[in-house]
Formats: sequence, structure tokens, C-alpha cells
Amino acid sequence: MAQPMTVIALENAVKRYHTGGEVIEALAGVDFGAERGEMVTVIGPSGSGKSTMLNLVGLLDTPSEGVVRLDGRDVTDFSEDQLTEERRSEIGFVFQAFHLLPMLTAAENVELPSMWDTARDRSDRAADLLRRVGLGDRLDHTPDELSGGQKQRVAIARALINEPDILLADEPTGNLDRDTGRTILDELTRLKRDENVAIVAVTHDEQLVEYADREVRLVDGVLQ
Amino acid sequence: MSRLADLVWRFPSVVMAWRNLGRNRVRTALATLGIVIGVVAIASLGIAGVAIQQQATTNLGGLANEVTVRSGVDSDTDGVTDEQVDAIRSVVADAPVVPKRTNSTTLSSRDGEEAFVSVTGVTNADALYTVSTGDSPERLQSGALLTNETAQRLGVELGDPVTYDGRLYRVRGLVESGDGFGSGSELVIPIAALDEQEGYDSVTIVAANGDEAQETVSTLESRFNEGDEEKLSITNFASIQENVNSFFDTLNLALLGIGAISLVVASVAILNVMLMSTIERRGEIGVLRAVGIRRGEVLRMILAEAAFLGVIGGVVGAAASFGTGLIIFDLLADDYTLVFGWASLRYLGYGFGFAVTASVLSGLYPAWKAANDLPVEALRG
Ligand SMILES: Nc1ncnc2c1ncn2[C@@H]1O[C@H](COP(=O)(O)OP(=O)(O)O)[C@@H](O)[C@H]1O
Ligand SMILES: [Mg+2]
Repeated sequence: MAQPMTVIALENAVKRYHTGGEVIEALAGVDFGAERGEMVTVIGPSGSGKSTMLNLVGLLDTPSEGVVRLDGRDVTDFSEDQLTEERRSEIGFVFQAFHLLPMLTAAENVELPSMWDTARDRSDRAADLLRRVGLGDRLDHTPDELSGGQKQRVAIARALINEPDILLADEPTGNLDRDTGRTILDELTRLKRDENVAIVAVTHDEQLVEYADREVRLVDGVLQ
Repeated sequence: MSRLADLVWRFPSVVMAWRNLGRNRVRTALATLGIVIGVVAIASLGIAGVAIQQQATTNLGGLANEVTVRSGVDSDTDGVTDEQVDAIRSVVADAPVVPKRTNSTTLSSRDGEEAFVSVTGVTNADALYTVSTGDSPERLQSGALLTNETAQRLGVELGDPVTYDGRLYRVRGLVESGDGFGSGSELVIPIAALDEQEGYDSVTIVAANGDEAQETVSTLESRFNEGDEEKLSITNFASIQENVNSFFDTLNLALLGIGAISLVVASVAILNVMLMSTIERRGEIGVLRAVGIRRGEVLRMILAEAAFLGVIGGVVGAAASFGTGLIIFDLLADDYTLVFGWASLRYLGYGFGFAVTASVLSGLYPAWKAANDLPVEALRG
């Protein structure tokens, strides 16, 4: 059987938040899909629901209505523990603020998602990934010894350690200057091809849009 | 990576916990200090109890096989009579029966040094006294025995005379004092020297051991005392020792209780520290969960942190308590090596066990809370 091209999909996804008697509809029926080997950017004004959508795609949250499909499987009603397993094996995250653990070295940070799989030693792959993002000589450095761009490369390597199908990035260049942002985007583009992952990136940055294969615009919880 | 690193990473929760504790050393040290104090409280109080008990038992030990008979409250004679002594002899068969008359006097040396001594008149002194120098006559007729310490103070040596009631007695042997209660300075002379007294002040029966002594007590009780009537008062130190033992068991429990309270206080401190540090790291734990770390793995990591605090505090506390134990035994028993006995060493184990248990219990709630925090919520901050 040919593997389905669309690796992650939202079908008519609605997300409502109940806050203080008020109901906010952050997503109002979104249909979205991403394929292996493509980079999709999600753009839109602040508060339009971009992060909410990324949380659903990343299986960090479940929709109020609609369906989430991972590799064609309906994972909408998965328990938190089942979702954790799917995130572990299928999804990598890159955050705007890097979120590396300060007490671990670069190599250990990269290994983090597989750290508790004691049966499988990922240290070689971690070193290899760090070399591929140009940090072969920084394996034993802790995050406070790295620049912002280097930290984001470590985070990208971490996102790829478990060979995921999907890499999600929320404002990956948001904390970086233009030139550093550009090198990060070059890196993502290369890895997208090499690792054949679907990249979904949320951004304000037009620079990032240039690198994307496709762009979707979100306004008030609706895709335009 | 080195082989050692490979090995430690087989326990990721433990490594992560260790690194996390290293991030805020002051906080870790203070949390540990609380545990140390708790352990020292439990273990040192326990060891002190053991030391006091051992000391008391040693003091009583030599007397456990002796039964003392005195005139009871319902007796119509002054002291124990000759007839009663004969009756006792017939009952106890071959155990030595030593009637005593007691008094006190002041001995003085040639250069004017004085010593107040209790005077005991006996015949068969050898049944009761073991001499350290000289000899203990089977039948004390003209000589005397004197406690070592008193002899030293007065400059009295073997063969020197001492005076009691105007008569001279040569010191034939020196005896150790301290074998039993109230036996400070003692002069032992022939019973004939106290002849002006009616009857005997007490009769000591020397049984083969503590059990036989207690048997003798009950035999004599049924022979001489009917119902509630007390013609003779019959006592044995073994029964006193039982009371002493149960008193010390209670005392030890009370001491342990006090120690346990300080550990409860320490574990509340651990709870507070763990709760604070997990709240501070909420976002970080959210990242762990987002990248696929399971709830149970987060739980184990945080429990390992709490356990580390307990283990470190327990080890340091046990070491400090061991030192305290050396001092306690040195002060109370003049022999610090006694601390190596199981009776006192086990309190180090109790202290350590309590510390680890209390810490892990305190870590449960923070760990559970952190593990079950939804990753989206944790990441939003
Ligand atoms: N956990 C939440 N509780 C309540 N409201 C939320 C929550 N998360 C997001 N929202 C609301 O949903 C809307 C979309 O938010 P978000 O997805 O963060 O937008 P964006 O990332 O595009 O700025 C906003 O109005 C925001 O206030
Ligand atoms: Mg956002």
C-alpha cells in the first residue's frame, strides 16, 4: 500500500475556549493538511488562532469538534497517554524560545525525546544531526554557551531525533536576527528534503514565507 | 560517550534528577539540611536511649542473681530473726545465704583524711564480694574488706588496721565499688562486730542466675507471706531490671517520637521545595511532555529528585549521628566502641529509612501534579 501523502490533517476542526462565562471560538471549522517533504507556513494576525491550530496538528490538544488524522488514522479521541506516544514517534517541535534544558549538553538535549528509551542508544544519531546543522564541535556545550541561532539548531536536531513525519515550528525565527533566521530556514529546507518530513511553521516573518512551498492564511479562526 | 556515561544514562530519571538538583545548590542544600537535622534527631536520641539503658543494665547486672530479704511491714520483730534465717536456708538448699547487719561510720587516716563508709557485717564474705587485691576469707573473723577507692583516699594498704566501734580490724582484701546501687564506700567486717543489734538488717541469697533468683523469690513469698501480709520483704534486682527495661522501652519510643516530629517538619520543607521547583519548571516540564516524555517518566524523574534529597540527607545525617553516638557512649559509658553494637547502629538505619521514606512521600504530590499538567497549559505558562 502506498503511504498516504497527507501525513497530518484537520477536518472541520473547531476549538472553543470557555473563559469566565464567555466562549471564544479560536478555530471555526478548519480544513488543513500537510504532506511529507513540504513546508507550509501559517500566517495571520495575532490572536487569529495560529497557535491553537498548531497545538491540534501537534496532538498537544484535542478539537472541540471535527477530526484529526495522523497518517490517515483518526486520532481525535486518543487519550493523553496515546497522544504522547504519537508525539514521541511522529512529531517534532521547534519553539520560538528554543526551550532547551539548561542542565543538559547540546547532545543530551538532542537525545532528550528518546532519553527514556534506554534500550535504544541515540547518541550517534544525535551527534550526526548536530554535525548536519553545523554544530559538530559543540556537542558538549550547554545552552548558555551557545548563541540564539545555535540553540535553535540544537532544537531542530532535537525535533528530528526520533525520525518524525512532521516538524512543527511556532515562530522559529521570532527570537533571531534576519541573517541567523535565514540560516535556520536554509537548514529546515535541507532537512525537509533529507528527512522527508512535513514542516508546518507559524510565522509573522515574510522571509519565512519565501522559503515555504505553500502558505495558508488564518483570520479569526478561519482559513482564507 | 564514555562507558560510565552510557551506564548512568540507563537511569535517565536519576541523571535528570541529579542535574536538576544541581541547578539550585543552595535550595538543595537547605532542603537536605532539614532532613539531616531530622535524621540526627531520630538517630542520636535513639542511640542516647540505648546508651542510658546499657549503662543502667550494667549497673544492675551484677545483682540480678541476688535476692534480698528484709523485715516486712507486718513483722513483729526488729529485723530478720535467726529462726527466719534458718528457715530460709532450709528452703533455698545450696544457694549461699548471707545475713547482714549494716551501719555506718567515719574512718580516718593517720594524716587526718576522713571517709564516710557504710559498714556491713557478714560471716561468709566470699559469697558476696570479689576482691581485686588480697583475699576474700570464707569466714570473716577478724579481718576487714574495704572498697578500693576508700583505701586509696585514706592511704590504707593491705594489712593496715581500721577502727570500728573502738576495735581494730586488719584490711585483708580490697573490693571494687560500684557493683550495684548505693555501694559507694564500704567497709566489710565480721558480723560479730555489730552484735549489739537485734536480728539482721537483711539477708542476701546468692542464686546461680537471675531465673533461679526469681524462683527463690516466689518460693520464699509463699513460705513466709500469706495473702497480703508481708512478714518479710523479698526483692530481686531481676524484677527491678524488667521494670527498668520497660521504662527504657517507653523512653526510647518517646525519644523516637520527638525525632520523628522533626522529620515530619523536614518533609513539609521538602514538599514545599519540590512544589516550588516544579511550579518554576512548569514550562520546561511542558516541553518534556510535548516532545513525547511520558507522564510516568516525568513522575519518576521528580520522585527521584525527592529521593535524592532523602538519600543525601539520610547519609549525612547518619554520619553525623554516628559521630554523636561516639560522643554519647564516650560520656555515658566511657567506651565509645559500644556505638558499634547493633542496638545503637540500627538507629542509623531507622534514621536513614525514615529520611528516604519521608522525602519520597513528600515528593509524591508535586510529582503527580507536574506529571498530570496538560502540556498545552504548561507551555502557555
Ligand atoms: N487556553 C486558552 N484559554 C482561553 N483562550 C485561549 C486559550 N488559548 C488561546 N485562546 C484564545 O484563542 C484565540 C486564538 O489564540 P492563539 O491560537 O494563541 O492565536 P495566535 O497564535 O494566532 O496569536 C485568542 O483569542 C486567544 O486569546
Ligand atoms: Mg501564537
